[in-house]
Amino acid sequence: MASKAKNPDYAALRELFRPHIDSFDYFLDEGLEKALLSIRPAEIADPSTGSKLRISFEKPHVLPPMREGRLSEPLFPFECRQARTTYKGEFRVDVAFQYDGGVVVRESFNFGHLPIMLKSKLCHLRGADPQKLVFHKEEATEMGGYFICNGLERLGRLLIIQKSNYPMGMVRKSFRARGAGYSDKAVVMRCVREDQSSVSLKLYYLQNGSARLGFWIRGREFLLPVGIVLKALIDTSDREIFVSLTCCYNDKYQREKGVVGTQLIGERAQIILDEVRTLSLLTRLQCLKHIGEYFQPVMDGFESESHETVAEAVLRDYIFVHLSNNHDKFNLLIFILQKLYALVDQTAAPDNPDALQNQEVLLPGHLVTIYVKEKLQDWLSKSRRLIQEEITKDKSFELKNLNHIKKILNRNSGSVGRAVESMIKLGRLNTASGLDLPQREGMTIQAERLNYCRFIAHFRSVHRGASFAKMRTTSVRKLLPESWGFLCPVHTPDGEPCGLLNHMTSTCCVASFYSSDGKIKDFLKIRMSILTVLVGIGMTPLTPKLERAGPPEVLHVLLDGCVVGSIASGKVEKAVAHLRSLKLFAVSGIPEDLEVGYVPLSLGGAYPGLYLYSNPARFIRPVRNLSHSSNGSQSIELIGPFEQAFMEIRCPDGGDGGRKESFPATHEEIHPTSILSVVANLTPWSDHNQSPRNMYQCQMAKQTMGFSSQALKFRADVKSYHLQTPQTPIVRTRTYSKYCIDEFPTGTNAIVAVLAYSGYDMEDAMILNKSSVERGMCRGHIYQTETIDLAKKLDRGDRVLEIFARSNDRKMKSSIDSDGLPYIGETIHPNEPWYSTYNTLTSVTKPTTLKGSEPVIIDYVAVDGTSSKNYMQKVNIRTRRTRNPIIGDKFSSRHGQKGVCSQLWPDIDMPFSAVTGMRPDLIINPHAFPSRMTIGMLLESIAAKGGSLHGKFIDATPFATSKDANQDNPSKPYSVVDELGPLLASHGFNYHGVEVLYSGVFGTELTCEIFIGPVYYQRLRHMVSDKFQVRSTGTVDQITRQPIGGRKRGGGIRFGEMERDAMLAHGAAYLLHDRLHSCSDYHIADVCSNCGSVLTATTIQPQKRAVREILGLPPARAPKSFTCHACETSKGMETVAMPYVFKYLAAELAAMNIKMELRLSNSAKATE
Amino acid sequence: MDPQQPEPVSYICGDCGAENTLKPGDVIQCRECGYRILYKKRTRRIVQYEAR
Repeated sequence: MASKAKNPDYAALRELFRPHIDSFDYFLDEGLEKALLSIRPAEIADPSTGSKLRISFEKPHVLPPMREGRLSEPLFPFECRQARTTYKGEFRVDVAFQYDGGVVVRESFNFGHLPIMLKSKLCHLRGADPQKLVFHKEEATEMGGYFICNGLERLGRLLIIQKSNYPMGMVRKSFRARGAGYSDKAVVMRCVREDQSSVSLKLYYLQNGSARLGFWIRGREFLLPVGIVLKALIDTSDREIFVSLTCCYNDKYQREKGVVGTQLIGERAQIILDEVRTLSLLTRLQCLKHIGEYFQPVMDGFESESHETVAEAVLRDYIFVHLSNNHDKFNLLIFILQKLYALVDQTAAPDNPDALQNQEVLLPGHLVTIYVKEKLQDWLSKSRRLIQEEITKDKSFELKNLNHIKKILNRNSGSVGRAVESMIKLGRLNTASGLDLPQREGMTIQAERLNYCRFIAHFRSVHRGASFAKMRTTSVRKLLPESWGFLCPVHTPDGEPCGLLNHMTSTCCVASFYSSDGKIKDFLKIRMSILTVLVGIGMTPLTPKLERAGPPEVLHVLLDGCVVGSIASGKVEKAVAHLRSLKLFAVSGIPEDLEVGYVPLSLGGAYPGLYLYSNPARFIRPVRNLSHSSNGSQSIELIGPFEQAFMEIRCPDGGDGGRKESFPATHEEIHPTSILSVVANLTPWSDHNQSPRNMYQCQMAKQTMGFSSQALKFRADVKSYHLQTPQTPIVRTRTYSKYCIDEFPTGTNAIVAVLAYSGYDMEDAMILNKSSVERGMCRGHIYQTETIDLAKKLDRGDRVLEIFARSNDRKMKSSIDSDGLPYIGETIHPNEPWYSTYNTLTSVTKPTTLKGSEPVIIDYVAVDGTSSKNYMQKVNIRTRRTRNPIIGDKFSSRHGQKGVCSQLWPDIDMPFSAVTGMRPDLIINPHAFPSRMTIGMLLESIAAKGGSLHGKFIDATPFATSKDANQDNPSKPYSVVDELGPLLASHGFNYHGVEVLYSGVFGTELTCEIFIGPVYYQRLRHMVSDKFQVRSTGTVDQITRQPIGGRKRGGGIRFGEMERDAMLAHGAAYLLHDRLHSCSDYHIADVCSNCGSVLTATTIQPQKRAVREILGLPPARAPKSFTCHACETSKGMETVAMPYVFKYLAAELAAMNIKMELRLSNSAKATE
Repeated sequence: MDPQQPEPVSYICGDCGAENTLKPGDVIQCRECGYRILYKKRTRRIVQYEAR
């Protein structure tokens, strides 16, 4: 049991990956079924017999991944990685057939295989403890959350999308382009169905005061006058519409706080009603017919339906799809119209679409759900088309013959699984409708396991959308206060994706379909209980028409985008507080992640109201509710970004976040570090560093060579970096132990002296102690796996069977075993054969040589028999390259202080401490500090020194000291050094961490005391061995005979204009000539001095002469003689040195009928 | 040596760890457990000559 207790708890880690897994679980549990039920059944009529067939979907089944073959054994992820296959389970759907409303015949159809997310409900590793995971050749910490496609680990990218079911006021110039009379203002609402498919609806404001409702069907936007939609939704009168619209205006209030209506609204309502009247549409039926007639051609499968049915379908499938009741839709449309008019009259401000307040996240499981839904829809309509074709083509075809129909349907059923797999493999959505998503590419990314930080960061990253990357404006990239606590301000890459690729903070999570006890939420029940609570605290429910009043008197209450009632503005604050307290208790029936977005009355601010959201895919994070702070964990409330903007949250960061007394705090941050992502939280004392340095550290932490994997033996990554001798940092933050980063450490505690020594540490260069490196500091390996699949070649066209075999040639025997594969543990040098294949047709054994410039060691050879019948066809060969630190390799501390190794300095020449005699592992230059202000690194050095003397780890959680200090004694200024200094002094060291050092070369005392102590150093993956590029001569381009580019092919680096200028300025003409001519396309051309042409020289075949051989010398080459082809004489042929491109230019010009002439002369004559 | 009869090579099963000796043309499958991913055994040849 003692060992059990020692087992680290990975629950906190698992929490980081939950959004991915929860969303996919939902897809398996309920989403798929919901999506299938919402697909409209296809109906096919046989014109000859008049019988009708109705095809609909019923229950879906997704099976756990199984191995192929007769034995249905479970397939484990390890095998998929090793065999480069996909971790997928069979996907079956019950398809129901019904003839003329008769008996339903159900048939299970195979729709291919769906990739299964690891650790989701269908994964075999679900709920496995570390022991079981290790047994199945996984990491003990395996978190899942990704798919395995062709052996590659891919995860769905979290994309930021517009907040669902919230009408957002927007001002955009492009709205004017919709047509004549359109203004730049609109209210946009992304309406989301229960299966997470969505339809965006825009309500445009026209210059004349009316409005148009716009939505997209298959790549085309349709615009409807709002009056027609209002009338088509319910049976209503003009007066009712007029009164509902104008209710938000009351002449009692003028320009007061919270007034949104103006008197213009009456005129506008009149215009809306007039518009409908001029079309002579008076009743609901007339409006429906009008809509139906308009939409009949674009609605698929409604060819034979009446206009009313089409119109009903349009209203159901495109207008406010999150609501099912037409009265609700009517009320919401009125509410949105009022908001639109308030936006136009500037009594309400537009919402910022770039602020996190109006955003939520697209989760991979939800994406898969809507993608599968569309693919099944496509399948159904395609099947319908196929059957109808069959009916018209084949006279003997009978619709009654179910077997025949099944045969037709079976033809393309596998396409659904294939489409989903390719979507995950390539990240590309292949849809006609666009699925109401902002982008079609880059939906998935590869989960690189370079090190643990990078791996985690992939799952925590949130992208703003690919379309914003190309935009020239920077407004979307700005760090806005709305993202406080949800997106990390530090952890974003600098450069191209800056501000677009963000990372969730460590405490941020995403609202899911599952409540905290793991059950699927019943949203109907939740909404009912919220409604009863609301009514209990003073909300007037509206049934069925909108309340005849508006702000500032009463506030509308919207629950998940449905207007449910109104509440008096005096009562609302109390109601909100009550709702918040109910959120804390599970028994109340109010979900813990309910978003209580109370937008208070303001003058020209956000449109007021009480917006409640219980839907999933919202960001949420925990804060402490101060009104319940006495009940400990019961006081933790989950809040969303929408409500946060209007909440008063205190932050114990030392300065209380600059809060004012006049707004008393209702909530408190749990810890100031909760605004930082996991990776940013790992930087010790990041609160003492300059902010950009922390950003650099987040970047570099993800490029560090670390302990890549505990299951390294079983991994088959294409490339992985591995640090052989990692250490745990002495100075660490609380996050480090919380997320068990010790399982995959990423650096070394190096003794760092801050000292200018030998001049080799200038400009961020650093000196490594040669002996430290030889003792194993920062040693690493690169593992590369090559998959050789001979069967693939077979499929590609040449139908010749190839097998692995060794030829009997003596030369080959050195490195290739008798099975044609290399020996394990053997070193293979570049251009040596490492495996060979035998072609059964030509009986030729062809060895394949090793590419690259470094020797490799064969790490393992795995032969894979899963795909082929008998012959060995598929092989994984993993090679290992040793990468010990050498000059030019990149290192960095955890404070954005990167440097390049400039010397491996001998131990005996290193400076040594006067007291302990210790030599540093690493010397950095003191100039690295003043301008960069990374005080955290200095603190780390002192702390680690103290910690190593005392034999304990030092906690370096940022903001921790200010929080603690504030509690005991707020007046006293506090310093970390005061805490760390005594640690050193107690062991007789200098209080400030400096020591007397002696020069290793001269043995004399250095004139000043040197700051020396252990700092955790990371070795970055950028290594010279992968980057150096050198050549004097080599491969040249065929046409120009200039050196080619590219490191892999042995090309050169361009010696450009600026380099040329530098050479000229130095007067280094000979060097310039060497670079630009001799080492490039140096050419001796034969020029005819008569005609001046470079192109006309032709060789004359020299008469065969007996070449006398002189012993020991190569036979003398007969001198070639040239003749001018144009002048037909060899007189006047001269040799001239020139760049070959010049000759090429002459040839190109000649092709264009331009003659280039050279006038040859001696230098003396040239001056004439 | 006859080219048609190369010496067999030993492999270790990726699942049960049993040693399998395969000749070219043999089915790639563990004889003990039927697992189809096999690893080659480490060579017995001397891989490093210089022992400095």
